[in-house]
Amino acid sequence: MSNSKRITLQQAAEVIKNGSSLTFSGFTIWRRPFALIYELIRQHRRGLHLIEVNGGPQSEFLIGAGCVDIWESCWVGHELYGKYGANLSRKVGNKEIIVEDYSHAEMMFRFAAAAQGAAYAVTQTSLGTDIHNPEYDMLGKAGLRDGKRIAKHKYIFTEDPFYDAGAQVLIPAVKVDVAVLCVQQVGEEGTVRVNGQYYSDPEAARTAGITIVIAEEIVPEEYLRRNADQNTIPSFEVDYILECPFGAHPTGMFGRYDVDGAFLKDFYGRTRTQEGFDDFAREWIHGQDHTSYLEKLGWPRMLKMKANSAMNFSPREKKGGK
Amino acid sequence: MSEYAQPEEYGLADLLCCAASREVADNEIVFAGTGLPMVAIMLAQKTHAPNLKLIFEAGTLDGRPPELPTSVGDARCEMGASRSSGLNDAFSIAQRGLVDLGFLGGAEVDLYGNVNTTCIGDYLNPELRLTGSGGNPDINSFARRTVFIMVHEKRRFVENVSYITSPGWRVKKWPGGEFVHRRELYGAAYRGGPSAVISTVGVFRFDQENGRMYLDTCHPGKSPAEISDLCQFDLDISRVSGETAVPTREELRIIHEVLDPDEIFIPKVKKN
Repeated sequence: MSNSKRITLQQAAEVIKNGSSLTFSGFTIWRRPFALIYELIRQHRRGLHLIEVNGGPQSEFLIGAGCVDIWESCWVGHELYGKYGANLSRKVGNKEIIVEDYSHAEMMFRFAAAAQGAAYAVTQTSLGTDIHNPEYDMLGKAGLRDGKRIAKHKYIFTEDPFYDAGAQVLIPAVKVDVAVLCVQQVGEEGTVRVNGQYYSDPEAARTAGITIVIAEEIVPEEYLRRNADQNTIPSFEVDYILECPFGAHPTGMFGRYDVDGAFLKDFYGRTRTQEGFDDFAREWIHGQDHTSYLEKLGWPRMLKMKANSAMNFSPREKKGGK
Repeated sequence: MSEYAQPEEYGLADLLCCAASREVADNEIVFAGTGLPMVAIMLAQKTHAPNLKLIFEAGTLDGRPPELPTSVGDARCEMGASRSSGLNDAFSIAQRGLVDLGFLGGAEVDLYGNVNTTCIGDYLNPELRLTGSGGNPDINSFARRTVFIMVHEKRRFVENVSYITSPGWRVKKWPGGEFVHRRELYGAAYRGGPSAVISTVGVFRFDQENGRMYLDTCHPGKSPAEISDLCQFDLDISRVSGETAVPTREELRIIHEVLDPDEIFIPKVKKN
C-alpha cells in the first residue's frame, strides 16, 4: 500500500517535538513504550509536557534525562521494585520541574472527556483534599494557563443543578499532542488488538492529535478484522505504526513477557543522584539502538521473562526480583 | 476455625495481614491495592469470604488470581476474572457507588483519618516528594469503608497531615480550607469513610460523628499508654475492646504455602 503507516523508531521519535505534550499506553510498570523513550533520550528531546493517567519508569527515565519541563499526573514509582520516583523527587526538590497533581480518577476522567470531545469532566472524587488547594495550582502559579494548550483553571467547583447531589468538581479535558502506545498486535492499517487489561489506552489514542503504535508484531489487517469484537482501537485513530519486539522492556507485556524487576530495582537504586542517572544512561541508552540493547540484555534473561502462552505470565520469573 | 498460633510462629506482617483480612465480609465488592492488602484480600477469599468480588484498579473486575500479582497491572490479575477492561471502568464502578471496601496505605495519617502520600514537609518546598495520590483519594471518596495499613511511628501519626492526599472524616472545604465533616461536602456521594487503621502496634477506628480516631485493639505485648505515646495527637484510649486477634495456623499455612511462598510481601518467621 502506498500510504503506509510504517515508520522507524528514529522517525517516530522525530514526530515528538521539543515542547510537545505527550502520553503513553500502559499502567505503572506494564506496557510502556520504552524503545521510543530511549530514542527520545538519545535525540535529546527537551521541554516535554507529560500528561499521564499514571506515571512509572517511563516518566522517571525521561525526567532523569532532563527531557521534561511539566509532569501532570497522580503517581510515579516502580511498584515493588522502587517505592517512589527518585528522579522526579530530586527535580521537584531542585525546582527543575513543574508538577501538577490530580487524583487518579480525575486524570482518567480528564482523558475520557477529551476522548469524547467534551470540554471537561464532572466528578465528586477527592473533595476536601489538598489536590484542590488553590495555593497548589502549579501551572497557574507559573503563568502557563493560557486557555489553549493548558486549561484556564485547574478545576472549578459547582453544585449539581439537576438532582441536588451536592458539590461537584469540574476538571478540564486534557490536550495531548502525541500518544505513544506499546501493544501486542497492530494491523497494517492501524487496527490495534490489546490483550489483557487495556488500562487507559483507548482514551489515550482517541484524545491525542497524533497516535504512534509500537507493536510486538505487525499482523495482516484482515487477520484482525476476522474478529473485530476482539480489537481495541480502530484503524483511523492510529497515524504511525512500527514493529519492535520487546519494545516495552523493562516493563512487562501481558501474554508476551513479565516485568524485568531486577532491571527496575537496579535503575531505582542507581539513579538517586544525577551522576547516577547519567552513568546508567551511558551504560544502557546512549550509543545503543534497540537491537544492541537486546543483545546486551541477552537471551537467557529474555527467556526467563517470556510468558507462558496459556498463563500469559512467566512462571519462571521470580517476582520479588531478589 | 483452626487454633491460634503461638507467638513464635508468626511475624508482625502475618498479624497485620490477618487483621486486614478480617475486615472483609463475604459477598462484598473490594478494591485491591498492591502489596500486603492484596495478600489479605486473597486470604479472606480463601477463608471466610469466598464470594467476595475483587476489583483491580487497572481494570480487572471480579478477579480470582491463582497466584499473587505483584501489582494491579499484572497479567496474573485477570486469570479467572469476570471481565478484563480498563481504568475508566474501575473508577466508574467506584463513583457509581458499587464498592464496599478498599485497602489503602499512607506515609502519614492524622486524627481525622486524612492521609498523605504526596510529600514530606511543605508541598511548595518539600523535604521529600513521594509517589503522589494514585487512586488513594478516589477509593477513599467512593467506597463505603476503607482500611489503612501503616507502619506506626510517632512522626507518621500526626495532628494534621502536611498535605491531605486522601479524605478522612473531617476535610478541607475550599476555597477557604476550613475543616468540615465529610458528609457536608460529599452530598449524594457520601457513603462512609475510613473505618480502620491497622498499624504495626494496634487497630484504630473512627467515631463517625466527631470524626476522631480511637484505639480499638492493641497488638499482643502493646499497652494503650504505650500506643498513645506513639501518636502526636491526643489518642482516645477509652474505647479499647481488647487485644488484636492473632493469626490461626490455617491462615499462616495459606499465607506462606499458597499465597506468598516466595516471600514477596510477607516474610516467613525464621526458626531459631
